[in-house]
Amino acid sequence: MKIEEQTIDTTVVVSLDGRVDGSTAPDLEKHISAVVERGDTRILLDCSKMDYISSAGLRVVLVGAKKCQQGGGKLTLCTLRATCKSVMEVSGFLTMLDYYDTRESALASQS
Amino acid sequence: MLTFAEEILLLMLDDDGVFLPIRGGAVEYILAGAVLMDLAFANRIDNDLEQLTCLDAAPTGNPILDQALAHIANTDETKDTRGWIETLAGQETTEIRQQALASLIEHGILESQDKKFLWVFRARRYPTIDGRIEREVRLRIADVLLSDDIPDPRDVAMICLVDACGFLRDIFSAREIERAAPRVEQFRKMDLIGHEVGGVIAEIERSVMMAMAISPH
Repeated sequence: MKIEEQTIDTTVVVSLDGRVDGSTAPDLEKHISAVVERGDTRILLDCSKMDYISSAGLRVVLVGAKKCQQGGGKLTLCTLRATCKSVMEVSGFLTMLDYYDTRESALASQS
Repeated sequence: MLTFAEEILLLMLDDDGVFLPIRGGAVEYILAGAVLMDLAFANRIDNDLEQLTCLDAAPTGNPILDQALAHIANTDETKDTRGWIETLAGQETTEIRQQALASLIEHGILESQDKKFLWVFRARRYPTIDGRIEREVRLRIADVLLSDDIPDPRDVAMICLVDACGFLRDIFSAREIERAAPRVEQFRKMDLIGHEVGGVIAEIERSVMMAMAISPH
């Protein structure tokens, strides 16, 4: 999995490329923690290139969302591929976290 | 920190140290799920909707978890989460229960008492010596379910186990249960192991009810 980061206005866009599973989820957890610890608690997870997410990945997303909320911000998801979106829907994550089909609409919601 | 099996065993005991009845009488499935949750949170296993896999066969240092981990790591057959819950429930839960109880006694949380009843029969009870941990678990569950905050994944998993046991009624008033119901419903889906444990127990309950309905007596 590759993680790229870009700051747009006050939002940190974290783009995921590849599989988020038990082997890679700890890297994502560290990355989100580092972003939150430096005071950036508005995170947009761009999942357009994420092609798989397991339970370990879902847990890391939830931990990240909790950290953002505790810091007064929010973790938002966007652009899930069909298979990952289905996993997120079945596991109830899309009713707990904010989700947008496009990056533009997700960023617009942050302003 | 206690394991999921230890925490749920604490909640299974009443004030006299006697085990409370579990939904469907399926304590072995609850304990099997608890062990899988601990292995998942220790980053030893991972799962999705289709399969459960071993990520790292290195022992955790906890004999209960390591026995189950060795079993998963040494099996060539691919199984989903429910398959592993059923396998562990069928083979290892007596040991899981005994070792978890022994650990709780060693931590000074429970004690073991043998009592006779009707002058002949012996019954073992596990009264609580230190009730702080049990109270802390109950408070944590109540806090999470009665707020709108994003939950910690560990709390989500624990709530799935408590819900599968049918113990939420012991923690909440009827009004609180009604208020917490949408969150419980949501959490049931969020932990894939917890979701499967709840599913197995609901199936057992349905089977028992059907058997009772068609029984002539």
